[in-house]
Amino acid sequence: MRPHAGAPLSRRRFLSLSAGGAAAGAAALSGCALQVAGAASGGGGESITVMAELNDLGPELIQQAQKELGIRITVVKNDITRLIAMITSGNPPDLVRGLGALDAPYFAARGVAENLDPYFAKSSILKVDDLDPANDLWRYDGKTQGNGPRYGMAKDFSQDAMFWYNTSHFDKAGLAYPSETEPITYEEWLDNAKQLVRRKNGQTTVYGGSYNGLGLGILFTNLTAAAGGSLFSADFSRVDFTTPEARRALAWYVDYAKTRVGPSLIQPNPDAWDGPTYVANRMAMSGNGYWLGGMIYPEPKVAPVSRLAPAPVFEGGPRLSSCQSATGLWMPKKARNKDAAWRVFEWFFGEAPAKARAEGGWGIPTLKSLRPLMPDKEAYQQRVLKTQQAELEHFSVTPFTPYIKWDALEALINQVIPAAMRGEISVDILAGRLNSTVNEQMKRGKEQVG
Amino acid sequence: MTVGQIPEAATRPRASARSGSAPSADLPRTSMTARRQRAFYMFTSPWVIGFLLLTVGPMAYALWLSFTTFDGISPNWRYVGLDNYRELLSDPVTWDSLSRAGVFAITSVPLSIVAGLALAVLVNRPLKARGLFRTLLYLPAVVPPVGAGLIFKQLFNRDSGAANGVLDIFGIDAIAWLDDPYARYVILMAVLWAAGNVMIISLAGLQDVPRELHEAARIDGASAWRTFRSITVPLLSPVLLFQAVTGMIASVQTIMPLLIAAEPTPKGVTAIPQTNYMYMMHVFAEYFALGRYGYASALLWVLFVLILIVTGLIFKFTSGVVFYNVDPEAKK
Repeated sequence: MRPHAGAPLSRRRFLSLSAGGAAAGAAALSGCALQVAGAASGGGGESITVMAELNDLGPELIQQAQKELGIRITVVKNDITRLIAMITSGNPPDLVRGLGALDAPYFAARGVAENLDPYFAKSSILKVDDLDPANDLWRYDGKTQGNGPRYGMAKDFSQDAMFWYNTSHFDKAGLAYPSETEPITYEEWLDNAKQLVRRKNGQTTVYGGSYNGLGLGILFTNLTAAAGGSLFSADFSRVDFTTPEARRALAWYVDYAKTRVGPSLIQPNPDAWDGPTYVANRMAMSGNGYWLGGMIYPEPKVAPVSRLAPAPVFEGGPRLSSCQSATGLWMPKKARNKDAAWRVFEWFFGEAPAKARAEGGWGIPTLKSLRPLMPDKEAYQQRVLKTQQAELEHFSVTPFTPYIKWDALEALINQVIPAAMRGEISVDILAGRLNSTVNEQMKRGKEQVG
Repeated sequence: MTVGQIPEAATRPRASARSGSAPSADLPRTSMTARRQRAFYMFTSPWVIGFLLLTVGPMAYALWLSFTTFDGISPNWRYVGLDNYRELLSDPVTWDSLSRAGVFAITSVPLSIVAGLALAVLVNRPLKARGLFRTLLYLPAVVPPVGAGLIFKQLFNRDSGAANGVLDIFGIDAIAWLDDPYARYVILMAVLWAAGNVMIISLAGLQDVPRELHEAARIDGASAWRTFRSITVPLLSPVLLFQAVTGMIASVQTIMPLLIAAEPTPKGVTAIPQTNYMYMMHVFAEYFALGRYGYASALLWVLFVLILIVTGLIFKFTSGVVFYNVDPEAKK
């Protein structure tokens, strides 16, 4: 029975009307979400959505893209939660920022990343034989990283196990400078850091050195490889921190944290990362690759006394110098505007923005043809460049597992390792706990990948 | 017109309608009642729609997720029934983090209520520049939690914080404030720093206490403490109960440990010192670091039910001591 116009609204009817209103609201909201990509296309020309950091694709670059390509770019902030929401709602960005060294196997194995080989094959801007080997970090053949189809490309890269040092701190401590051609050992690096650190009333005024890698997960992957082993099993479905090589890597890092010569989980850097601390002359050594030069070069006091050294080695271990990030872009399989996205991809990696990045010193260009643009005007830049060019011969891909997201691995290590850093548990107990907690998560990951 | 007159007017036309004869004199009243009800529903409907859309909907979705292994990306997630709930019952991290959240609530809520009430009593007195004091004391409460987190993180940083700078003046060695065992005290300080929130509500309550009751007590020779204990506190008890309930709900859901963390990111959340690794940190880690949407949703649903139970218990056990100053006429 329909109530007549003047009849009071019953509570039941009110609630059902509200539910209807809420459903309509939900539909309207999802309509809005669809318009993020769709609205721009109405403005004349094509439009794509890119999930990135604002310093990757700032307003000037967006305007430049519109002018040069006629493509309108909408940037959404890089955020894994938002990415998941966008993928789940069937409306993924057209290009997504990612770390080739860590994200490529994860997204490729889950079938959410587009195989870009057909695009590369047709491109006159991004020729495969011009691609630096660092771009192989974006390749995954279903089993191993470094081979198979390309799922993305790095915007620039560094060999992240290398380290910068400030000669003025070595002079003050009366220490010999590390060689710029021959690697020192990790033990020597730590000895230097212990002598370089400056403290006052328990407060650290100058860090002896910082060596945390891009994150602890990738750091241990690389340190274990540098010790001559592998953190992962042959099929990448498990980790083993108890092998002699992995244990050696763990023990070295725990020693580093325990001696408090540099920032760690139990001694956080108030600046949050090495860059500001190093250029403020409060850090003698910083375990970062060539890209930190982009921050060092504009500092007239620090740049002339800064040198870049090869990646350290473990006594008896191989000389490896891998890239821990290879930050770049990938294209979701369900992207709506793939052709426009590829055009932006080509422009971003091979045209004006790529040239500007190469000249800035914020990383090694990922196209070999752009290498002549790397900064070398000043004597200290030439010195750094020489070290870097020699180090490229030792570049290798250290494969990462597809069965755990890198920040999940990081989170699990973060949960367990502080106790060892404080000396509450031994390295052997730490290794056992890491195996247990990480393998449990990797087992779930393997089940879900299938 | 009194409140009591409304039902009488409202019921009559309905009875007429049921009998099938609608006297013309009743029609205006019917339409007036209907109009008033429609107005009521129109004014409340934005909130109800918002509640359904933004609260009930996501909660139902989270309930569904809690029965799955969904991780947001992987193709092979599946329905697992009550497995996530079974797992959380046997997960020591869940219970440890829940007990830490409980201890934090039991400590921080009474402390902030007492501190807020004490401040309210102070600024309720006839002081010079009272308005200025009220403003200054309330100011921290309007600082966004993210800003407050940053302030405390910088103040208590081991190597560059002002707290250790003060210790340095006295030649005392630096303390790792943001690490165990001190980290919990920094969180407590951050909560108490924002006690202005409690103060402002208590102040409103204090100003509602009839002055003649205090005057009568003073004439009868009651001391200030006795007056406060026997008159002020009972009359403030509904306000204090409200603060206890909302404070408890807020404190078990606090994210302040994350805001003062060395790395306030999904992967950094698990590095939070053990004493500050409370329930919401566990939920955050499971959702955003490990991508276990199903398990994390189960954790949230358990927390929701626990909060309902604790709130119910608080109401039950305080029903005899909370004094509601309600006009008896209005209650009829």
